[in-house]
Amino acid sequence: MEPAAIQFIDLQYGNVLALFAIGFVGGLVSGFIGSGGAFVLTPAMMSMGVPGVVAVASNLCHKFPKALVGAYQRNKFGHVDVKLGLVMAVSAAIGVWLGADIQHHIKENFGEPGSNLYVSLAFVIVLTIVGGFVLHDAVTVYRSGHSDEQERVSRLARWVQSVEIPGTMMHFRTANVRVSVLFTLPLGFATGLLASIIAVGGFIGVPGMMYVLGAPGLIASATELVIAFVMGFGGTIKYALHGLVDIRLALILLAGSLFGIQLGVIGTTYVKPFMIKVVMAAIMLIVAVSRGLVVPVYLTELGRLDLAPRTMAWLQTASFVFLVLALCTGGIIIIASMLRGHRVGAMPLKEPAPE
Amino acid sequence: MERSKPYPQLIASGIVSGALYLLLYLYEREILTAFTRTDGWYPALPVVAAFVFSFSHGAFTAYFWEVVGIKGRKK
Repeated sequence: MEPAAIQFIDLQYGNVLALFAIGFVGGLVSGFIGSGGAFVLTPAMMSMGVPGVVAVASNLCHKFPKALVGAYQRNKFGHVDVKLGLVMAVSAAIGVWLGADIQHHIKENFGEPGSNLYVSLAFVIVLTIVGGFVLHDAVTVYRSGHSDEQERVSRLARWVQSVEIPGTMMHFRTANVRVSVLFTLPLGFATGLLASIIAVGGFIGVPGMMYVLGAPGLIASATELVIAFVMGFGGTIKYALHGLVDIRLALILLAGSLFGIQLGVIGTTYVKPFMIKVVMAAIMLIVAVSRGLVVPVYLTELGRLDLAPRTMAWLQTASFVFLVLALCTGGIIIIASMLRGHRVGAMPLKEPAPE
Repeated sequence: MERSKPYPQLIASGIVSGALYLLLYLYEREILTAFTRTDGWYPALPVVAAFVFSFSHGAFTAYFWEVVGIKGRKK
């Protein structure tokens, strides 16, 4: 009967406009790389004073309808491997369910600063490791001079595809891979677990499908939208049962992100395949810096560090600046590569696509 | 020849989407209170609302980009 004992912020007009704008850019990024809007949205909401767990819950609630719209649109361009998405999503759902439980326990035991610290640390560790790897790969492809071609299958993926485990093999036609589900299960689980913590499972899901299973970047990023829908849906139910979804935040984000995701989807049809990796790595690494800067702030709130209030304020401002930088960088790379793709393409942007 | 643009659909979906957001603005407190209740079927409300808004506002945004003239390139 009682609403959850949680602080919901008073929404000012400035906050609404900011949520709409970051929703738009987040949607643009999600439509383009299949995930990733949330790694900007969660910290941005936290910067406005929204508690970490409410930011994640509201983010998930705006994510699944956005992913549904994005997957529907990208399926029109033949990018979505629905079967791979659903198989990954089954184990991702288990991961997201368990992750939400962990989040809930941390909040109960360590309070608000503990929850914020947990979310921020997860951001820093995952984004630095995976973002660094994706950036290294993107630079390698660019230097090789084969950026126009579809990506080569990694050595790991070639091995995974060569392993024959009778009774577990599945063929994913759109991604053009045949692998054992025993490889997709842990990958999906890790995707779901990460999604429940920082609302962005795609930072394991998309690189995992590319480098572990051997799916092309365009297919992996679009298929992630199917997983994102299932995870977002499951995660929202879980958080809603605890009364943690701030529906106002979710719907305002959705207002902007549905504009953005449709533009991001269109953008994927105008760029070279490796641009997906460039955008993904650039944003991941900048957001990692942003969240890393506020870790000492949360440690001070937990009594583990002793920073002056002025230093804490400075770190929070610097964190926000890096966040805005990540947003702008992603948006600018996507729009610029769309324009470049449009210039070199044979078909003008304003001409209707052939039916 | 260019196909005629879907102005009527844009306006219709825009009205539906706008009305839903107006309701959210007018009844902000009541909606937030109901949507954070944890008893009975109340936890289903955020999920239902997300679907309703995605269909109405999703249709509006799709028509918007179509009317603006930005379309994907089919390969």
